[in-house]
Amino acid sequence: MRLSTRLIMLCAGFMISHVSLADELPQRWVSAGGALSEWVSALGAESKLVGVDTTSQHPESLKSLPSIGYQRQLSAEGILSLKPDVLIGTEEMGPPPVLAQIRNAGVPVEMFSAEADLPTLEGTLAHLGRLLGDEAKAAQVFKAYQQQLEALQQQVKQAQAQHTSPGVLLLLGHAGGKPLVAGKDTAADWLLTQAGGHNLATHTGYKTFSVEALAGLNPDVLVFADRSLTGDEARKALMKENPILASLKAAKDGRIYELDPTLLVGGLGPRLPDSLKQLTAEFYPAAPANP
Amino acid sequence: MRTLVKPRPLFIGLSALCLIAIWLSLALGPVSLPLLDTLRAALRLIGVPINGDGLEQAELILGQIRLPRTLLGLAVGGVLALSGVAMQGLFRNPLADPGLVGVSSGASLGAAIAIVGGSAFGGLPDAFGPYLLSICAFLGGLGVTALVYRLGRRNGQTSVAVMLLAGIALTALAGSTVGLFTYLADDATLRTLTFWNLGSLNGASYARLWPLLFVTVAVSLWLPRRASALNALLLGESEANHLGINVEGLKRELVFCTALGVGAAVAAAGMIGFVGLVVPHLVRLLAGPDHRVLLPASVLAGAALLLFADLIARLALAPAEMPIGIVTAFLGAPFFLYLLLRGRH
Repeated sequence: MRLSTRLIMLCAGFMISHVSLADELPQRWVSAGGALSEWVSALGAESKLVGVDTTSQHPESLKSLPSIGYQRQLSAEGILSLKPDVLIGTEEMGPPPVLAQIRNAGVPVEMFSAEADLPTLEGTLAHLGRLLGDEAKAAQVFKAYQQQLEALQQQVKQAQAQHTSPGVLLLLGHAGGKPLVAGKDTAADWLLTQAGGHNLATHTGYKTFSVEALAGLNPDVLVFADRSLTGDEARKALMKENPILASLKAAKDGRIYELDPTLLVGGLGPRLPDSLKQLTAEFYPAAPANP
Repeated sequence: MRTLVKPRPLFIGLSALCLIAIWLSLALGPVSLPLLDTLRAALRLIGVPINGDGLEQAELILGQIRLPRTLLGLAVGGVLALSGVAMQGLFRNPLADPGLVGVSSGASLGAAIAIVGGSAFGGLPDAFGPYLLSICAFLGGLGVTALVYRLGRRNGQTSVAVMLLAGIALTALAGSTVGLFTYLADDATLRTLTFWNLGSLNGASYARLWPLLFVTVAVSLWLPRRASALNALLLGESEANHLGINVEGLKRELVFCTALGVGAAVAAAGMIGFVGLVVPHLVRLLAGPDHRVLLPASVLAGAALLLFADLIARLALAPAEMPIGIVTAFLGAPFFLYLLLRGRH
């Protein structure tokens, strides 16, 4: 056989194997994790999503997709009825017998970690990149993300060298009523610390707080995340339901800020750096903002 | 005695209803299968050797998802309704429900311990870990019921009134302990706990099914043998005693069967309310208070009702799923109110 024929065959072989590889990539995705759905969209594959769970609230357009319910309470047949090629979700997804049924039906179930740290995110994005057949883009997105966070860390360090870290409390509530205070070992605590704040709460998890304890801690800054209201409405509701807040230093100085509560679930999402940047600016109003 | 429906047509009607419910439960779901495929896959499942080409999906969905779910629904519905009859007979009060002897609150407490404290048990063997919740719920139900029964006993006599009050006290105690666990739980476990308390037939698997099926069959065969004794008990305890019924033995059996049946049902499917209360009523309205009819008829009616409720639960929000406890309470609560108000006139 002549060399050129061999070459042509070799090339053809490559092309065929490449085409078949593309065919094997999952085309119909069901996502059971808010941050994962966001990342799939950020990687340009929103059109591949055919169903999402109730934690997938961003981008807004995902809300028009069929809902598979809450991530821990999935239904095997419901998901199979969407004819998915893959089901992605965090280790919170369940119940396990349902996942087993979905696997038995030949639909791969891809599990991701919901840990809120960069190495986990790197793994998540690489994994998504492989599934989407665009690992280069995923790596690039991660790199940009990492750079954003690093720049922010620099900025926080500089600010902390010149100013003391403000004492912060984060209140999580529904229309202002009976807010829970975010303690240690929560995504909220991680967020506050990353933005350069000092979380005054020392308990673990989200707990209700007595009014007295709140007044005693007297935070410099109050951050609230409201699950049902946004903006001024949420702020008004919070002050109305908890009049004691008005006597805090944070309220007197007008330093009560809002945070999107969806940032607090499911690991590091694509909207995080922007929110962190804003929090840092709010924590250190005197420090020069980085580009 | 005058009844609306004679026993024979009642049993024929209920059996037919059950068969219809079973068929619908196998044939309907979020995945729409052609009727012919469902039929052929169902035939293959029961061992009829027909050509299975192109039936892989239908067989999988029928065999692995819908059939275990249907069997679970039949068993849970049947055993809950039967326990309801047993409790209403024991307390001689048509408003009694299996929760009265503490089995539901005990199971709830067991589940809360397993869900919230589950990670503290860490390093469980793989064969045991997935069943921790079911086992804890079952043992919790059995334990609290045993305590209620024990509290009701004095000098070899069981006072139903003391049992009733002890049941209320222990239910409150278990409830506040669950509350404590709720306070300790993080967001995710909290939601698991909430959903468990609403019950679901979702994710039924054969491994969870067999123990419940065994208990259901055993209890369904055993309790109807006590139908005449339950009828005698309707007249009053001493009257039943004079009729030669071993009343103490009967009470023990009724409490034990209820704890076993409801405990197993709750362990397999979580809390499903109102079936145990409403189904015996419904059957009593149709067929009168004779336990010889009431006991077996309630099994059939409970099984059929739960399958219909599950159809709503799985289809109403597809591809998501509604907890079945919501559906049964939606159907049950208005009916319960109707019964209460009707009694006033």
